[in-house]
Amino acid sequence: MSSKQGFVAVEALSRRAALRRIALGVTAAGLGAGIDRADAAQVHAEIANERTFQGEYEVKFFNGHEFATLERLSELIVPADEGGPSGREGGAPEFIDLLSSQNPELAAIFTGGMLWLDAASRVRTGKRFVDSPEEQQTQILDALVEAERDLEDSDVRWETDEYERFSVFGVRRPSEAQQGLKFFGWARVLIVDAYYTSPAGIRDLGFVGNAAHTEYSVPQEAIDYALGRSPFEEA
Amino acid sequence: MAETDYDVVVVGAGAGGGTMARVLGEKGVKVALLEAGPMIDPQRDFKTNDWPHDYGHRSAEDGGKAYFGRGTDYGFFTTVSGGWQLEGEPYTSAPGTRFQWFRSRVVGGRTNHYGRMSFRFSDMDLKPYSRDGVGWDWPISYEDLAPWYDRTEEYIGVTGTVEGIRSAPDGKFHTPPEPKVHERLMRAAGKSLGVPFIANRRAVITRSINGRAACHYCGQCGRGCLTESNYSASQVDVFPAIRTGNVTLITGAMVREVEASDAGLARGVIYIDKEARTEKRVRGRAVVLAASACETARLMLNSKSRHFPNGIANGSGLVGRYLMDTVGFSVQGTLPALENMPRYDSDGFGGAHLYAPWWLWDDHSKLDFPRGYHIEMGGGFRMPGPGSFLGIARQTGYGLPLKRKVREQYGTRVGLSGRGEMVPNDQSYMDIDPDVIDRWGIPVARFHFSFSDYEWKQARHMERTFKDLIEAAGGKVHGIGNRSREGEGIAVPGSIIHEVGTARMGESASNSVLNQYCQAHEVRNLFVADGATFVSNPDKNPTLTINALSWRTAEYLAEELRKGNV
Repeated sequence: MSSKQGFVAVEALSRRAALRRIALGVTAAGLGAGIDRADAAQVHAEIANERTFQGEYEVKFFNGHEFATLERLSELIVPADEGGPSGREGGAPEFIDLLSSQNPELAAIFTGGMLWLDAASRVRTGKRFVDSPEEQQTQILDALVEAERDLEDSDVRWETDEYERFSVFGVRRPSEAQQGLKFFGWARVLIVDAYYTSPAGIRDLGFVGNAAHTEYSVPQEAIDYALGRSPFEEA
Repeated sequence: MAETDYDVVVVGAGAGGGTMARVLGEKGVKVALLEAGPMIDPQRDFKTNDWPHDYGHRSAEDGGKAYFGRGTDYGFFTTVSGGWQLEGEPYTSAPGTRFQWFRSRVVGGRTNHYGRMSFRFSDMDLKPYSRDGVGWDWPISYEDLAPWYDRTEEYIGVTGTVEGIRSAPDGKFHTPPEPKVHERLMRAAGKSLGVPFIANRRAVITRSINGRAACHYCGQCGRGCLTESNYSASQVDVFPAIRTGNVTLITGAMVREVEASDAGLARGVIYIDKEARTEKRVRGRAVVLAASACETARLMLNSKSRHFPNGIANGSGLVGRYLMDTVGFSVQGTLPALENMPRYDSDGFGGAHLYAPWWLWDDHSKLDFPRGYHIEMGGGFRMPGPGSFLGIARQTGYGLPLKRKVREQYGTRVGLSGRGEMVPNDQSYMDIDPDVIDRWGIPVARFHFSFSDYEWKQARHMERTFKDLIEAAGGKVHGIGNRSREGEGIAVPGSIIHEVGTARMGESASNSVLNQYCQAHEVRNLFVADGATFVSNPDKNPTLTINALSWRTAEYLAEELRKGNV
């Protein structure tokens, strides 16, 4: 199957190399041939124009159901809002598929994790995760987050057989969601990273660097904003 | 065995060897410049201006290696440089020692990726024993070195402002870029605590010199610079050296030993041609070692002969001794004043625009450690990459709260890093492991290392100071900046990559390896032009001084060659 967001890196990069040569007027990569600042600005600009996603991504590792699950998770973990689209539009499913196709350790975390997710979903709704109502999907994710916080907040070793002896301290039985935490952690970091490294995510963040300037200046508006919220009269 | 003759054989094409080859080449001296790694091609090798989304792996590398701690050291975009481990080329550590050794095998060496902080040693730095009775004095004074700093700065280009601070001598500066917003807040915090933040001194040019374009502020010095707007030994020394027509670069040449003549002089070097896996020799009237401090010492210790049973020029037994790194410790936090701040391009010239030189140089009597440190700073709107928002994700769970928190918190993080002077000690040195050879058949280096209370107490002073600074700016301290490196309370020895001191200069042959011109006391045609020559390791990052000393040595060597003394 394929999805709409294809990231054709290799082609883009070979075009990049060609572009650079044109912009630099370099016929062959000469020994230490430098370029001047105007050329650098031109390269930055041309690369920015040329940087568009092309083609269809062909799923390399996951089956159709697994990929659909990744798409749904990508919408839930990084949802679309007024500041930008979802992790799905940020290319997260493709990113996870590509890495998993190259890394059996990662692949196993995701295949096992998604089977666990479907099992956890069936307990609640009798249906697989993607087929369940959104409310049930978020309940599972909420349970994962709660289990994660319990683990972080607690000094008690959950694994002990004697945990109930400590119940006087209000210790709860470990959540079953705890078993899904490794998978959840991986899914979240990869979806978040895919989104914020995508062009849409860069725009959402407002990252305006990776550019060439003749002069470097810091806008007074930013200085005033920070200074007004700081303990200082001047900075 | 193939043989070739040159005036001078230079081992290592980094800061020291690159400077040496260029200066000698410009004077018409015929130089063989040996480099253990390959040539570098900026057009091919530098990832300047690329984005994570130019790659399917988003800069996490194939299979997401970066997430598993198996990615390229310093990240995917960093220019080719080297690593903490090199396949088939181990080093060992004595029991109880934890030491990290970053080695580059490429033209330009570690200057391709380094931080480019360029601080002059001060008069106090060169005579530390005279001031506090610890360590040793250098055989040269600030007045001896200053003209060579001038030349070096004028040639490579260093930013800065004239400040008149004794611990941070002024130089020949390019105009620095203005401070970023978080830096202004930290400067104000410093002012309230008596810590002076001044314009950073980095080897970046802000006006065009020598055909190199002025910086265009993309902030990516570590990737390598296509416009040659920063200093790297490859682009600024080695390429011009080759253009003189007098310098022959031999890549893939792993030097094993300095060959001694019957008269006890250096005849040249024996190296392994890595591609052919064959031993070759190259001969010259003089040999200059600039392979990096510990490679140079390893090479000297492995150069045994009738005259030099303990390694060439090692009658003092001091080759490998008094190894020093920089004391490192960092603290990170966030500044709420920066939340939801209007966005701007905070890339700048590739590093902090401000730093704090050591400010308590006249107050050591009130401190429990003898030497100082400077403060480096991080922060701003960084290009997102693998793991950029891990902390926020854990804090917020998932969904819209996560997205909103990322927008609010983006760019609020600041880090302060201390870079301090370590006092040389008897427990910190390197020798040759009696049991291990590398893939080229060369016996490997073995490290012994121990920080003393001087360094530990200095690191605690850093910790308190950085916490105070962040809190003075209304910030919240999160903790240690680099947990894997500094989790024990001080950076792992070697991990700051400022290792120096293994063949130190001095006035007497019994108490040092080299004279004030970095010429071996015992072998008049053998010189050293890297950090091995250092007598102390001031809190100033070493490269600028390696450049300046190498230039000084090159002029001296050229004159000795002309006079027929070498």
